[in-house]
Amino acid sequence: MKIYITDGTPETFFTAAADAVNDEKCMITSDEAIQLAFDSEVVKVDCDENKCRRMIDCIAKYDPTAERNILLCLRSGDGLKEQTALEYIRKILQYRDSVSKRLSLPEVIIFNETLSKVTGEIHKMTGFLRFMESANGALYAPYSPDNNITDLLMPHFAKRFGSEKFVIHDLKRKIAGMYDGRECIMGYAGEAEIYLSEYEKSFETLWKKYYEAVNIKARPHEKQMKGYMPVRYWKFLPEKRG
Amino acid sequence: MVDAKRLEILTESAKYDVSCSSSGSRRSNVAGGLGNASFGGICHSFTPDGRCISLLKILMSNECAYDCEYCPNRRSADVPRARISPDEICELVINFYKRNYIEGLFLSSAVCDTPDKTMEMLYETVSKLRRVYNFNGYIHLKGIPHADESIVMRAAKLVDRMSYNVELPSERSLKLLAPQKTKNSLLLPMKNLRNAIEDEKQNGKRRKILPAGQTTQMIVGASPETDGQILKLTEALYRNMNLKRVYYSSYIPVVRSAKLPAVGAGLLREHRLYQADWLIRFYGFDVDEICPADENLSAEYDPKCAWAIRNMQLFPVEINSAPLEMLLRVPGIGAKSAYRIIEARRFTALDFDNLAKMHIVLKRARHFITCKGKFYGLDGEEQVKCALMLANGDETNEQLTMFSDRENAVAAITGEI
Repeated sequence: MKIYITDGTPETFFTAAADAVNDEKCMITSDEAIQLAFDSEVVKVDCDENKCRRMIDCIAKYDPTAERNILLCLRSGDGLKEQTALEYIRKILQYRDSVSKRLSLPEVIIFNETLSKVTGEIHKMTGFLRFMESANGALYAPYSPDNNITDLLMPHFAKRFGSEKFVIHDLKRKIAGMYDGRECIMGYAGEAEIYLSEYEKSFETLWKKYYEAVNIKARPHEKQMKGYMPVRYWKFLPEKRG
Repeated sequence: MVDAKRLEILTESAKYDVSCSSSGSRRSNVAGGLGNASFGGICHSFTPDGRCISLLKILMSNECAYDCEYCPNRRSADVPRARISPDEICELVINFYKRNYIEGLFLSSAVCDTPDKTMEMLYETVSKLRRVYNFNGYIHLKGIPHADESIVMRAAKLVDRMSYNVELPSERSLKLLAPQKTKNSLLLPMKNLRNAIEDEKQNGKRRKILPAGQTTQMIVGASPETDGQILKLTEALYRNMNLKRVYYSSYIPVVRSAKLPAVGAGLLREHRLYQADWLIRFYGFDVDEICPADENLSAEYDPKCAWAIRNMQLFPVEINSAPLEMLLRVPGIGAKSAYRIIEARRFTALDFDNLAKMHIVLKRARHFITCKGKFYGLDGEEQVKCALMLANGDETNEQLTMFSDRENAVAAITGEI
């Protein structure tokens, strides 16, 4: 069985997919740590712009909205995301039509689930992201999301923060989105050293106090809280850090 | 800056208000301003009681001139009192908002001195927040009964949502437990605001007054009204006042009084009311179908299940041909599942296995459907009832104590079934 290993970029994925769609038994992954079967044949894929473009055009011919969704799927933190996207493309080519409404196809069910995990986390993070005010007034939010969503989160905050400068830092992927009050840029960011504003501690303390006071102790319901707000996100929430 | 002690007192006093939703408004930011509103609403945190924090929910003052029996802040109660100034609130909102702790402000107040003065104070605060601090995030403002209409109208132009709480499900209970509030002092301002919103709509003007509409809240279980009466009132409020939401707060005995029951109403009753409310708003049910006026909702079954059991002659329905309205009436099939079924069956006839793979919950539904003519449920009404009671028992325990995923958890709060 052929295993196409990509560098994780969408371009390389589409390059690999152009070959993979003609081979029923192959796999695409960007996960280098993948367990190989004894008969696997590893193919390291290099991005080929022409091939990539042709693959995308071919998909768009049958379903113009598919590219956008496939790109979203490829942002998933799931190790099988490339395979999920490949199976979805196969179905589009098989039916020569959009399959987005064929909701009983297993390939479509898995694809849609992967998508909603990505879009669901974007929505969650519009609420759970926490900014700190630095000494120079810029806001800084570290987090480590399951999916690669930072650039998709930037416009939401840019719209509401107006002229406030802010940085959203994905510690897991070592990337950051920066907004200077006018436009967003994305870049590499390892570790960041932040000097907090003198008011930061006071507002954080008030927030913790608020969180404690607004709870109705007579009605404990921890499991519901955790259902809505998974424990893995707590690390970055001042009210849950204790 | 407000100190922690006052923040604590004024939050403790505000927390029994159920509504914390920040949805329904598309307010956008302006140059040099801070904030906007997100139409779907955003939850920023969840407290150990399972409720969401979306807005900073706080009273301006808990020094109350009224003596409502059930209220921890009533005049005769011996509790610590505090107040917070408009600037202190603005500072708190701006700084919490910048850190993404909150989506906006839910401002309320005890009736401090007179209703007019209180409303004036609330107006001053939201006006300052909008005009001086240039804040464009969500604001939910509580209306003060008996306050002058002109102040209320000025405030309504600045905020996203207002609420007058009807407090209790009947005029008689209101008289008994909240003697200074009258039915008219709550319903008249609601009606005025509705008219103002309608006027704006009809004249095709840009929506300024309460883009997210009005809501209300009532305490359930502090007075003798049945679920049927409560739902009738709910339906009337949706129809006549165009309310966006009616919230129920099951009575918690925080205050000892001879006029009040000694025990709380329990979460199950509140949960069933929300489920029924959901059926009325989104599933095309009438109150009479769900619950007769002098009865309570069933504790054993959710209201849709109870309705289906009473109407067994309508089932089973064929999943591949039933119209949407009927799919929505199948116990266990919600709006999302119904939509998925309708889309999927256009391409291929669905069997039981397809439904399971599509994550349609079949625990209850299987007794009410056929797939390609085949029935997978139990035969005999008694057996079905028994199975449903078990399934609902699971659901009740699950929904009240355990939440495995977000969809379930949302369902518990909104009442979606």
